[in-house]
Amino acid sequence: MQVLGHNALRFFPYLTLLAFFAPVVVGLFGTWIPALGYLPAIGSKEFSGRIFSGLWLHPSFPKAVWVSLISGVAATCLSFGLSLFITIQLYGSRFWNGLERTISPLLAIPHAAFTIGFIFLISPSGWLIRLVSPGLTGFTFPPDLITNGDPYGISLTITMAIKETPFLLLMIMGGLNQLQTKNIIWVGRSFGYGTFGIWTKLIVPQLYPLIRLPLLTVLAYSLSVVDLAILVGPSAPPTLGVLIDQWFNDPDLNMRLSGAAGASVLFTITLLAIFVVLLLELFVRKTTTGFLINGKRNYLVDRMQWSARMLSGLLWLTTLLSLLILVIWSFTHVWRFPSAWPTDFSERFWQKTIPLLSEPMLVSLSGGCLSTLIAVILVLGCFEYEVYRGRTSSYSVGRTSRWLIYTPLLVPQIGFMFGVQIVFTLMDIQGSWLGLIWVHLIFVLPYVFLTLAQPYRNYDQRYMDVAISLSQSRLISYFRIKLIMLSKPILFSMAIGFSVSIAQYVSTLYIGAGRFATITTETVSLASGSDRRIIAVYGLCQFLLPFMIYSLAIVIPALLFRNRRGMQN
Amino acid sequence: MTPRIQKRCMILLSTFLSLFLMGNAAAEEWSAILEKAKGQTVYFNGWGGSDVINDYVRWAADITQERYQVTVKHVKINDIGGVVSRILAEKTAGKKSEGSVDLMWINGENFNTMKKNGLLAPAYAQLLPHHTLVDFENKPSTLFDFTVPVDNMEVPWGMAQLVFIYDTEVVPLPPTDMNALLAFAKKNPGRVTYPVPPNFHGTTFLKQALLELAVDKEPLYKPVSESVFAKVTAPLWAFLDELHPVAWRKGRSFPSNSSDMKQLLSDGEIFISLSFNPAEASNAIKTAELPPSVRTYVHSSGTIGNTHFLGIPFNASAKEGALVFANFLLSPEAQARKGNPTIWGDPTVLAISKLSPEDQALFAAVPKGVATLSPEELGTVLLEPHASWVEALEKEWQKRYSR
Repeated sequence: MQVLGHNALRFFPYLTLLAFFAPVVVGLFGTWIPALGYLPAIGSKEFSGRIFSGLWLHPSFPKAVWVSLISGVAATCLSFGLSLFITIQLYGSRFWNGLERTISPLLAIPHAAFTIGFIFLISPSGWLIRLVSPGLTGFTFPPDLITNGDPYGISLTITMAIKETPFLLLMIMGGLNQLQTKNIIWVGRSFGYGTFGIWTKLIVPQLYPLIRLPLLTVLAYSLSVVDLAILVGPSAPPTLGVLIDQWFNDPDLNMRLSGAAGASVLFTITLLAIFVVLLLELFVRKTTTGFLINGKRNYLVDRMQWSARMLSGLLWLTTLLSLLILVIWSFTHVWRFPSAWPTDFSERFWQKTIPLLSEPMLVSLSGGCLSTLIAVILVLGCFEYEVYRGRTSSYSVGRTSRWLIYTPLLVPQIGFMFGVQIVFTLMDIQGSWLGLIWVHLIFVLPYVFLTLAQPYRNYDQRYMDVAISLSQSRLISYFRIKLIMLSKPILFSMAIGFSVSIAQYVSTLYIGAGRFATITTETVSLASGSDRRIIAVYGLCQFLLPFMIYSLAIVIPALLFRNRRGMQN
Repeated sequence: MTPRIQKRCMILLSTFLSLFLMGNAAAEEWSAILEKAKGQTVYFNGWGGSDVINDYVRWAADITQERYQVTVKHVKINDIGGVVSRILAEKTAGKKSEGSVDLMWINGENFNTMKKNGLLAPAYAQLLPHHTLVDFENKPSTLFDFTVPVDNMEVPWGMAQLVFIYDTEVVPLPPTDMNALLAFAKKNPGRVTYPVPPNFHGTTFLKQALLELAVDKEPLYKPVSESVFAKVTAPLWAFLDELHPVAWRKGRSFPSNSSDMKQLLSDGEIFISLSFNPAEASNAIKTAELPPSVRTYVHSSGTIGNTHFLGIPFNASAKEGALVFANFLLSPEAQARKGNPTIWGDPTVLAISKLSPEDQALFAAVPKGVATLSPEELGTVLLEPHASWVEALEKEWQKRYSR
């Protein structure tokens, strides 16, 4: 059989690696070198370890490291535990189907917008207290309670956990689709196992490898997040990510060296944390063998479905309320404590903002579409090459290169952005579309890869064999059969990639060199000014684009397959 | 003549007038700049957190486009330090021209840093025809930015003075010095706070407290030395040690900036906010961000004042365009509009006495704003301590309260 284009396919893995791995590595070096004291632009030309040792003398540094580590790890554990618990308790129920259908719009809500709404929900002068004040509480002034920005990072942990749980749930849903979960459950049931037994002994051990990478992504993200931590994190001292951000912004240029060193430390911490998770995984695997084969069938946890319903309901409700708060604020003129509702409405912020937003929206849209399109082409090429090689030899995008692909997600962004900036400036693509798309691609690609890998590898290649034998053309078969059959996961991965591109702030601003005003750069800069009414308008607009794309990712396959019962799972 | 043409003629006239006053050589140089600037695109990097300021910049950009054919793009950022970083990265990469920043909103420490590290264009402010109208005589901070000589390497844009904002319906009689503020906080626990240093306004609060509490203020205007630091700042730490237990969130959490404080004041969480713009409260009343009953006050021994500037980086791509835009921002027309509290309310750097009667009328027509203090009420302007104190104060603050 003549395989059309496999020669060209060969280049895809290399191209893909080049696209995002090269900048990350170069960026890391560009950060490590100043961390070692070499930054000639500010007259620092001596390599030494003094910057690193100096970090530990900074009064805020040790605590910042701790707070970051604890909140990051706790948020990851919490969201992982929560998403597993919800899955185990609710899988297969009508409630679960509801979650499945409503999860993507939830993911489309930008982190910062969600957080701003969430803070207003829970803060002492926030909506919940306003609703019952002064009637029930007697408060005419908000109580002096610390609900957000607490020094232990509890509020930060909770916020991150709420925001990350839907993402992990989605990844679990993807994994379960691959596992023939229903069959496993039937088999388990017929042997008399209860739900908890089936899941912990039969499904989770198979599911875990499929969601390991998303889990580590969440871990790395939670350890290094900056925008969320500024909003709900502790302030004195802040988290390590925020501290590094402050150093990179410090008027004293020598602090750039500390920033670079801090970023390197954060990078090391993230690697260590990932390593610990992997060790833990090994440990759990070794110690639970006995549990897996002890034959015990029923556990008390089986009777906790109601709590899972409550938890997921609460999760959804919190997110929706946070969104609703933004909608209300965007139409507010005056809303002071303790009024339960705005006392004066106005649509003037919408009126003046909409004409101003067409340009940033267009830039966001073009950047998002272009980077997602390139990403999806590269990823499809890689996978198709894998399929081809898999048939001729035992090749798959090897374990190592698979890890390489995820580096941008596992390495803290502040750890290499400074370096990337210097390199892109050297290459003279700073501030160009090429530079912007490239830097977005660094983050979009791994997410597209991550979400598309399982469905693609799971595709029953025999459809293609039949198609090729009928059409005599590999290309035609590919585009008319395989791509169409996979359109649902492909569109979905594109939606995720798109929203990742939309959310880029630091990279857009610095690599874009201020040439590209996107909806996100506009929103974040306004968010530093704290007028909720205008931030709400921008935050909602920022939500609109990914929301539209997610909706398209749902609607297009539905239309495409309206006459194909076999495709409507 | 239609009003529009009338206006055009006026502008032409005033341009000629200033060109005449500047002398021929300078006038020729300026018209060469105007010519070269045509068609350029100026990337103006500045804090974009305020809707009203963004509106003002857009207005100025539109006019500059119309009159001088210079396109201005406002690059809205949340921290100018990041822009300094970018210029630094450009310098590191050897990019000596065609940089990404043409004009930036800057002052104080950032200016000091950029000047020291050669990140600013060589002296250029004197080229602007409107530069001569600046009130250098009575506004010393237009010449010394945080005690660092400006040397024409940045263009004064607006004046700032620290004021406190309060709601008259909540606080009938505001405290007028730091000790009274402490007493107020003790009486109203959880209602007083300040932005977290090293935030600009947070550090300003520390400096203000230090200026009020220090026994000997002399050393504050010289480079800081370890020997005097402990002695001079001792009363400040004693003050903060007493304040924090009765502060908002018991001093365990701080607002991240002054906008955050404004929001907290609006929510009723705190009773006293602060601002560097004496007219900010009036503007916030107009936009309904704050209730109509808010007013401002200053401390009896005066409050810190400074100037904010416009700077051109060493590798700006559109230097001429940046000069043209900066000159427009310095024009009586733009400055009067900026001073209007219904627009923005940022005090002018110009000397009214140096203006033509028509231009003086522009300023006379600017309403004062209900919550804005008169120049007399604003009282003494305290000069910023030497720039080196900032870092020392921040370090010590972190050592004590942020570990």
